[in-house]
Amino acid sequence: MLATLSSATLFGARGRPVTVEVHVSPGLPAFSIVGLPDEACRESRDRVRAALLSSSLPWPLKRVTVNLAPGDVRKGGSGLDLPIAIGLLVANGALEPEAVAGHGFLGELGLDGSVRRVPGIVPLVDATSGDTIIVPAGCGREAALVARGAVHTVGTLAGLVAALRGEAGWPDEPPPPPRASMPGPPDLADVRGQPVGRLALEVAAAGGHHLLMVGPPGSGKSMLARRLAGLLPPLPAAHALEVTMIHSAAGVALPPDGLVTRPPLRAPHHGASAVALVGGGSTLLRPGEVSLAHRGVLFLDELGEFSAPVLDGLRQPIEEGVVRVIRARASVEFPCRFLLVAAMNPCPCGVGGEPGACGCSDNTRQRYVRRVSGPLLDRFDLRVIVNRPDAGELLGGGSGESSALVAARVARARGAAAARGVPTNADLPADRLDELAPITKRARRLLRSLLEKDKLTGRGLHRVRRVARTLADLAGDEGPIDEPHVGQALQLRVDPGYLDRRAA
Amino acid sequence: MTHRDVAHALALCALPQMGPVRLRALLGRWPPEEAWAAVRSGRALTDAGVRERLVHAPAPLAERWRSASASIQPELLLRQAHAAGISVLLHGRPPYPSVLVDDPEPPLVLFARGDLGVIDGRRVAIVGTRNATEVGREVAFELAAGLAEAGVRVVSGLARGIDGAAHRGALVANGAPPIGVVGSGLDIVYPRESARLWDEVTARGLLLSEAPPGAPPEPWRFPARNRIIAALAEVVVVVESRRRGGSMSTVEEALARDRTVLAVPGSVRAAASEGTNHLITEGAVLVRDVGDILVALGFARPSPLDAAGALGAIDPADRPVAEVLQRRACDLEALIRATGLPLATVALSVTRLELKGVVARRAGWIEYVGGAP
Repeated sequence: MLATLSSATLFGARGRPVTVEVHVSPGLPAFSIVGLPDEACRESRDRVRAALLSSSLPWPLKRVTVNLAPGDVRKGGSGLDLPIAIGLLVANGALEPEAVAGHGFLGELGLDGSVRRVPGIVPLVDATSGDTIIVPAGCGREAALVARGAVHTVGTLAGLVAALRGEAGWPDEPPPPPRASMPGPPDLADVRGQPVGRLALEVAAAGGHHLLMVGPPGSGKSMLARRLAGLLPPLPAAHALEVTMIHSAAGVALPPDGLVTRPPLRAPHHGASAVALVGGGSTLLRPGEVSLAHRGVLFLDELGEFSAPVLDGLRQPIEEGVVRVIRARASVEFPCRFLLVAAMNPCPCGVGGEPGACGCSDNTRQRYVRRVSGPLLDRFDLRVIVNRPDAGELLGGGSGESSALVAARVARARGAAAARGVPTNADLPADRLDELAPITKRARRLLRSLLEKDKLTGRGLHRVRRVARTLADLAGDEGPIDEPHVGQALQLRVDPGYLDRRAA
Repeated sequence: MTHRDVAHALALCALPQMGPVRLRALLGRWPPEEAWAAVRSGRALTDAGVRERLVHAPAPLAERWRSASASIQPELLLRQAHAAGISVLLHGRPPYPSVLVDDPEPPLVLFARGDLGVIDGRRVAIVGTRNATEVGREVAFELAAGLAEAGVRVVSGLARGIDGAAHRGALVANGAPPIGVVGSGLDIVYPRESARLWDEVTARGLLLSEAPPGAPPEPWRFPARNRIIAALAEVVVVVESRRRGGSMSTVEEALARDRTVLAVPGSVRAAASEGTNHLITEGAVLVRDVGDILVALGFARPSPLDAAGALGAIDPADRPVAEVLQRRACDLEALIRATGLPLATVALSVTRLELKGVVARRAGWIEYVGGAP
């Protein structure tokens, strides 16, 4: 007898439909899986057998062949356990074929017959055909985001078989954990002082400008960076689903209601490998940190400690907003439009640029800064020095503006950018700057003299103009960009070169 | 046999761990050629005449010298030095510079590149820390330029920071030729990035070293180099120095030789000026401008101070920021706190002042550099 069921497997951040065919025929007892299964998939045989026996369901002492179609796509993971087990029951005559018609199945089996969750439920459900999708208990809300028909959750194989036979009702989805267990993003009001750091953060959020913070340890760089995601507007529905798909595929914990609606913040450690950061792997192509930060913030703390090849691997994703992972058997694309925020110490000793205070020689400092390649450094529109706040500001003084206040200004500035036809000002095309972001005569004169004195390069000029536009938008200034905005934009771009003119 | 003496003295210098004291012990006991023979036979350090001159000589040294000397051919070494444009001077024989002859610790063998004649003239040493501030370098540059213009030779160490800035200043002025005293062989440029500066100093002035050609910049050579700078100079000006450091050893050598020491004061908060401020409390002459140095040399002060300074030319709107920066280097946030002005105003002022060359930004710190404070 033959049974055919629909399911799906993960391919990058998307699902691919898989048809599971189970054939049971007389002969010596044997069990084989064909159709490019990976190791986890092949082991399915042992899990399915134990689960069936633990659930008091029959295991056929016959020749069993499982085919996973299409045959040329590699199938990974254990999510095909459930369709194989059900297919086996149908092919064996323990279940009526009509009972499973129009159903799709996803889930891993435990040896005791329990049905367990697998990573990537959202893209998997999206790819599975069928009017009714059966998913493991606890995945109902995620599955419902993309399901076109009904979604049923099951906790055990026995419960599922009973429900399919019509002997029992479908089990209820357990209630989500209380909201309180998910703390909100930290608030900007906790940050005392730091007017320059705060402004840079606001500009980065409003204009989509990548931000580099340089400062001694304990100056609050990480504290600031972790508050950036809270300044970004919530994700619109289309983006939210995109992000949820990627997070689900990577097996990252999703919020209780399943949908990622807040821009994510990813902060990989500086020991991260190139594959961990950019994505890849051998059989299961996994999204990397840059894709997990899609539509959100990628925070690289201790930028100088990342290995140089890893950092240079970031340049292309930053520029193109998409990562292409290419392997001999397959290639997949992961989206990665993120806001890059990086922090680093000014020199190995950490004391920094305060003239005369730091014990590092000019050479040591240059070597430290040079670890971050020029082209990468160039991607940062905003480069600021963050120093330890003054004692007075730490103890006395009121708390700063709250994230909500700043986020309101950010939303307004983003609205102004949208009116220009770009998502953020960082995306303003260089050749249309004069038309979309005009500047006053005074400001033009200031910029010209900077160019003439070699204090600014042509490329730097465009970046300064974009940042100045964002500053004007934040101030609610709709006219052409004026001198103060240009001046501020320039001061938010610290020269990374520690060289000076006369002395070596 | 002057030529053979020079060759053998050079060969002695080329031995490992051969400092001025050991060289003096050997050459005090024997003429160069005999000293070389003693080294070759390995008895250089066991000789009673040497032992009484040399308190500290580790036993394995004689053996190291003996094995190293086997591969050294004095005559060939001398030809190679001459081919590289390096002349070898022996103490007490012309053209050894007369200023060093009577020094308490003269270099017995001196290597020179460039015109030896430039030593004759007024000489001032400008020294200071390698890890200098922007202001320090500007001051060293300006003082050296002023001295060179007044016809005074600037002696310095060609190191990073103050020394290099002083030499650059002396070269820019196109006045008196500069004199550089270095710690490595004259064919070993250190620091490497100063290669062009070395060439220019050699071309327009004089480069001296006690280290033989090919000698790497070993740490022990620098204090010895400092004593030659002190010996050559009539007055020593310290621009910036920490409480301890190479410049302070130059000062000690200068005081031991009765040279006048001058120091450029700095902010009491600046670590880079701790040493110079301390020198002033100990009685060093305070330097405000090149005139103070010229007075110490016995010259007349050139022209009255330009009291108007750079502040006069500054836009009134930018003045609050300039005034704060005149007192100390700040980062942007400290400037906002000190002036009480909004960020936009401060940022614009800094940009304008930078454009005028009144302030300089270095790794996010803003320093006042324009004119006399």
